[in-house]
Amino acid sequence: MEPAIRVRDLRKTFRVAERDAGLGASVRSLVRRRYREVAAVAGVSFDVAPGEVVGFLGPNGAGKTTTLKMLSGLLHPTGGEVSVLGHVPARREKAYLGRITLVMGNRNQLQWDIPALDSFELNRAVYRIPEPEFRRARDELVELLEIGDLVRKPVRTLSLGERMKAEVAAALLHRPQVLFLDEPTIGLDIGAQKRLRGFVAEYTRRHGASVLLTSHYMADVQALCQRVVVIDKGQVLFDGGLRQLTARFSPHQTITVQLAEPGTDLSAFGAVVEAGEGRVSIQVPKAETSAVAGRLLAAHAVTDLTIEDPPIEDVIEQAFSAGRTA
Amino acid sequence: MESLRLVGTFLRIGVQTELQYRSNVVFSVLQSLVAVGTSLAVLALVFSHTDSLGGWSGDELLVVMGVYVLMGGVLRSVVQPAMNQLMDDVQHGTLDFVLTKPADSMLLVSIRRIELWQSVDVLVGAGIVGFALSRLDTRPGLLAVLGFVVALALGVVVLWAFWLLLTTAAFWVVRTDSLVELLSGMYQAGRWPVTIYPGWLRIGFTFLVPLAFAITVPAQALTGRLSVWLLLGAAAFTVGLVALTRWVWSVGLRAYSGASA
Repeated sequence: MEPAIRVRDLRKTFRVAERDAGLGASVRSLVRRRYREVAAVAGVSFDVAPGEVVGFLGPNGAGKTTTLKMLSGLLHPTGGEVSVLGHVPARREKAYLGRITLVMGNRNQLQWDIPALDSFELNRAVYRIPEPEFRRARDELVELLEIGDLVRKPVRTLSLGERMKAEVAAALLHRPQVLFLDEPTIGLDIGAQKRLRGFVAEYTRRHGASVLLTSHYMADVQALCQRVVVIDKGQVLFDGGLRQLTARFSPHQTITVQLAEPGTDLSAFGAVVEAGEGRVSIQVPKAETSAVAGRLLAAHAVTDLTIEDPPIEDVIEQAFSAGRTA
Repeated sequence: MESLRLVGTFLRIGVQTELQYRSNVVFSVLQSLVAVGTSLAVLALVFSHTDSLGGWSGDELLVVMGVYVLMGGVLRSVVQPAMNQLMDDVQHGTLDFVLTKPADSMLLVSIRRIELWQSVDVLVGAGIVGFALSRLDTRPGLLAVLGFVVALALGVVVLWAFWLLLTTAAFWVVRTDSLVELLSGMYQAGRWPVTIYPGWLRIGFTFLVPLAFAITVPAQALTGRLSVWLLLGAAAFTVGLVALTRWVWSVGLRAYSGASA
């Protein structure tokens, strides 16, 4: 199957003016500017299949937003190839823009002083959505997002979570096939994050849309993405399933046991990371997990035993530091 | 056709928005009265000393003032709000949303915000023009009124294109407020027909800050000073200016998206 998004050796170099601190340097820079080339994206390649939800992860400044901007046609690549739904995004053809959407969690596009319903009307005109389809899409989104009462109130009176839901609804009225979601849950409380997540999952299931999602909340990624692309310094560090990511970057697992007799020292079995109230967690190399668990059960009176992968945040952290030292 | 429908929808929603702020109308009317009052006082003062100014009688200059007030209303209600929004969007990065929409970006940035109550001046200006016409010795014929309507329409397009041209500078210089401030100041020069200014200023107000085409030419239509050639010239200038604005806009977009780097 033809991928929905195809990125090959994508590059973006910015030319930034630079000067030293101080008045003298400021004056000198007026006369002669020095420029420095900064490679924000330095050879990124990946595919996203139709209907696939891919997490796009990386620390601040890794090149995520720059890549998203190139995919949505806002920035021209310095090099490499991008094809989304068979279009070259940088050409910004109407036929292309009508099939994608861009949601940025920290910027809003709804007009502040009017109810979201009116902004929906504006998008209907911009995307030339026929009336019956518009009504169907709008009613579906209002129902899925549970914003029936909110869309009639001026946007400025909504809470951040409510506003974000309205933003997402406005961005999906034209039933885009590719969604670029840049930190869609930023600043939302846990409940609102969860509901938005649930919505995205349901929406992509119903309409088979492809999603490229950036988020600092790993819960978003874990709940939605079958696959992640991790980038740092403009380059891909990892592309694959979350499970493989853990296997690759975290060679340890954590065994937590509830002991019948508290106070037992388990440091012989592995590095103790947490101990108290008869509950002890030890970190062991992944290859030895089952052997260590067997020995533990044989040697001590254990009432409960769990084996866990480390939290995904730690794994990602590990991946970045591995990428830096490599 | 599609573009007209788009403009219509934005206009309708814009008016709905403004209707929420009905009390603003009081402020706008007051503002308008003060401005018009001052202008009338100056005009009366000038004509207490002389019967004509550069070949224009007092009532004819009242026509110019009426068109000036009317165009000022258009500028403040439709053109400037959209341009302020554009500058905001460039500063805050929300222009990205406009550029990812499947519509003409230049059109879209021009229709997103209106300030309905500022259009009080359009009515006041039309009133002044009507009043001045009733005092003129020779009333304009049907053809002259037609010429006036065409010249007025061209004038609106000229003002819009010119303001957009300058606002586009926001792609390179993020803060262009002072530039726009300066222009609003210059717009004030339009209360007098450009023909009374000395040569270099007249050329400046015709081609650099196109007040001539926005204000003087429509007024000339009503006072028997408009030839077919002048109207054709105004039309040609309008087309040229729109083409130039479009070109600068596309260059600006390329700079914004880094296509030229």
